[in-house]
Amino acid sequence: MATEIIIPSDLWEGDEESVITAWLADDGAQVREGALIAEIMTAKVQHEICAPASGKLSILKEQDAVVAKGDVIGSIT
Amino acid sequence: MIVAAFGTASDGIAREMALLQQGRPAILLWHSAAPALVVPAALRRRPAVQDGVAQADRAGWPVVDRRSGGGIVPQGPCTLNLALVVPLQPGFRLEDGYHLICGALAEALARFDIPTTTGACENAFCDGKWNVLAQGRKLAGTAQRWHSGAGGPVALIHAALLMTPPAPALWPIMDRLHRAAFPDSAGLQAGAHIALTDLMGARANPHSFPGALARAAEDRLTSLTTRGHKAA
Repeated sequence: MATEIIIPSDLWEGDEESVITAWLADDGAQVREGALIAEIMTAKVQHEICAPASGKLSILKEQDAVVAKGDVIGSIT
Repeated sequence: MIVAAFGTASDGIAREMALLQQGRPAILLWHSAAPALVVPAALRRRPAVQDGVAQADRAGWPVVDRRSGGGIVPQGPCTLNLALVVPLQPGFRLEDGYHLICGALAEALARFDIPTTTGACENAFCDGKWNVLAQGRKLAGTAQRWHSGAGGPVALIHAALLMTPPAPALWPIMDRLHRAAFPDSAGLQAGAHIALTDLMGARANPHSFPGALARAAEDRLTSLTTRGHKAA
C-alpha cells in the first residue's frame, strides 16, 4: 500500500503557492521514515518535507513544480 | 556581544545550520572575511546559472550555497548576518518569524535615529516582502528555514544587513547571476540599496551597531520563549 507525500495544510497560512526547490532523494530510491526527502519554498521560507514512511520513493511532482497545500507530490511503497 | 568572524561565508552558514539542528533558542551575529555570493542551493543547480557562477568565481566572488529561501546575497566584510533559532510554538506563523527579526532590526536602527519600514524593493537583490528599507532602499533582507527536529519544529530566521556598500564592480556580476536565476525579473541596481555607513555618516560609530542589534534580538527571543514556556 502506498503512503502519499502530501504538502501539509498547516505549513503556512493563506493560499500562497509554493515551489518544490529540491528532491533530496531520487525517484525509486529507498528512503527511511522521517528522512529529509524534499524542500519546498514559499515567501522566502524553505520548508523541509520528511518521508512519512519507509520504502521506495515515487516522485509525482518534479523539482520547480508549483504546488499548493494538500497536493500529493509523491508516494512511498 | 561579539560578532563571530568566520573566514568564509560557508563557515558562517554551517554554524547557523548546526544551531538549527540543535533546536535550542540561539542568536548568532556573524560576518565573513572572504567575499562570496551566497545563493539558495536550488538556484545554483539551474543550468542557466552556471555561467554566472563561473564568471563570479573568476572575478574573486566564489558562489556558495545556503539552505534557506530567497535569492543572491553578497557576503564578506560588507555584510552583517543575524541568525535566530526559534523553537516553534503551535500557531507560530511565517509572518511571526519575519516580524521577530525585522522588529529587532528596526529597534536597533532606531537607536541610531534611522527610521525603517518593511516591504519589497524593486531592483534589489534577494527581494521579498520582508526587506528592511531605509529611505525606501534595501538595507537588509530576511529569509527562513523551518526544520522538523526531534524535539519539534524549529525555525532558522536570518537577516543579512549591508554594513558598507558592496564594491561597484560587484553589481554587474550579481546582476548577471540574478538575471540567469530569475529570467522574468528586472535586473539589479546599486541605487536600490543602502548601507548602514551611508545612513550613519559621521554621526555614530557603526561598530556599535551589532551590540544594539544583539540586545534587541535577545529581548525578543527571550520574550518569545518565555511566553512559550508559560503557555506550555
